[in-house]
Amino acid sequence: MRAVLKRHWLEIALILPLVLYIFGFTLVPVTRSIALGFSSEAGGFTFEHYRALFANGQFRGALINTLAITGLGLSLQLFTGLGLALILSRTFRLRGLVRSIMLVPMGVPTIVSGVTLLYLFDSSGYLNELLFRLGLIDLPIDWASGGIRTLFMIVFADLWKVTPVVVLLMLAGLDAIPESVYEAAAVDGATGWGAFWRITLPLLKPSITMTVIVRGVDVFRIFELPLVLAGRMTPVLATFAYTEYNQYYNSHTSGAAATFLLGVILVFVVLYLLFVERERRAEV
Amino acid sequence: MTETSRRLSPWAYPLLVLAVLFFVTPVYIMFKVSFSSPGEVLTAHPTFWFKEFTLSHWKAVLASGNLNAPLLKSLLVATLTTGLALLITAPGAYVISRLPKGIRYTVVLALFFTRMFPDVGIALPIAVTFIRWNLLDTNLGLVLAHLTKVLPFISWVLVGTFETIPDDLEKAAWVDGASRLQSLTRVVLPLAAPGLAVAAMLVWLESWNEFTFALYLTLSDRTLPLQTYYYIQRGNWFQAAAYSGLLTIPVMMITLLLQRYLRSGYLSGSIKG
Repeated sequence: MRAVLKRHWLEIALILPLVLYIFGFTLVPVTRSIALGFSSEAGGFTFEHYRALFANGQFRGALINTLAITGLGLSLQLFTGLGLALILSRTFRLRGLVRSIMLVPMGVPTIVSGVTLLYLFDSSGYLNELLFRLGLIDLPIDWASGGIRTLFMIVFADLWKVTPVVVLLMLAGLDAIPESVYEAAAVDGATGWGAFWRITLPLLKPSITMTVIVRGVDVFRIFELPLVLAGRMTPVLATFAYTEYNQYYNSHTSGAAATFLLGVILVFVVLYLLFVERERRAEV
Repeated sequence: MTETSRRLSPWAYPLLVLAVLFFVTPVYIMFKVSFSSPGEVLTAHPTFWFKEFTLSHWKAVLASGNLNAPLLKSLLVATLTTGLALLITAPGAYVISRLPKGIRYTVVLALFFTRMFPDVGIALPIAVTFIRWNLLDTNLGLVLAHLTKVLPFISWVLVGTFETIPDDLEKAAWVDGASRLQSLTRVVLPLAAPGLAVAAMLVWLESWNEFTFALYLTLSDRTLPLQTYYYIQRGNWFQAAAYSGLLTIPVMMITLLLQRYLRSGYLSGSIKG
């Protein structure tokens, strides 16, 4: 131990602030959140907050909303992201410009994308006006009235904000597929859709798996967009935890909800280790 | 295969046009609202093109006296966070980049996972603690919270930077009589400067945009994102649009400036080795 200290004192000194900070300001708070969820007002250990949580209609609603947004959002994001990446991996005039334009949502703060989508989805907003002018609707749709429409609104907002990231991840995967594979496939008669199903998609699987898990975590803990767009009308897990703390001063309930959220995210982490990591190790 | 077969087939062009409209329209609408007279927007049938261009909302925001404090707070917090983040992260990331491959990978992965924790789970105990430490509504409190958010992310960006600097260069410096600290400051640091600059801009943006921690840690001294949210809650669309525009301009500029760095490595946390 002493020998290690003496030999590597500089390295240890250099990395210590980073380690201490992450320990003190991430790991300790997370532990405290978990502790808050399991401790009673008097300080003893209790499951009471979790029992109350699952008896709470707001929380169950938040859970269902979060699951729906995650499922719907992920599928749409993958579909759109992959489609756009396939288009952008081809050559055409103005490709550089289109690739830059695609990054525009990344240049918009999340809170601002919430605000601008509010202008779009308001009942006298721009989306209703567009649908009206296209002759698709006669009366405005109240997108924020709750239920499936509001979920769709949140999914759309998230889709807009993150599509660039998904496209970039997919493009990186596509770029990694060597041209020679397609040449060999063309000799064997696989072109167009055949080549897409038999070559592109299987070879892209690692990128898709990683995107699903990384994006899955982000959608599951989505906070700003539902807060701005739907407020307390349509809670998700994160906004539920926030409201419990901020409006009702229930830090124990908020801690329990956050811990539940953390538990689900840990499942994603395990999935990541199982699917992305194992494949990576197998490749090496 | 020949070059022509990798060209985009014509049937995809309409999709391309739709995609461009999809990406650009919300931003256009935001700026349009901030420059429109209320009659164009607050109606059952809002107009897509400018009918009456007006600067009145921007003038109102600038003249209201409500802008300076949040703007200064956001600028100050973002700048302080950037400086401290680099100071803490650069040395640590250098050490991680010199670890044996297996261990290095595990450390980077662990850093990556700490960013997966939900913000509401971290912000809650931090807020509870900061109440006791009298750090609510202070710049210092917000800087400390923002560091939590940016350190893991910026560590893996910088680990990637330091990995590209061969350690042979350091060894050569030692042979020439440099001490270990000198080889770091005179050889490694200058070579890492471009990576550090990119990292600095990314941190600055992250802090400038940050909303969740600010929401938990603020009672009255709002940052710019909170100010925007405040106007939206009060239903003041035009002020909110002007604030949104103000918030967006630096982010858009830096994002487009950094676009060649915004590859999957930075986004997925250089996880793919």
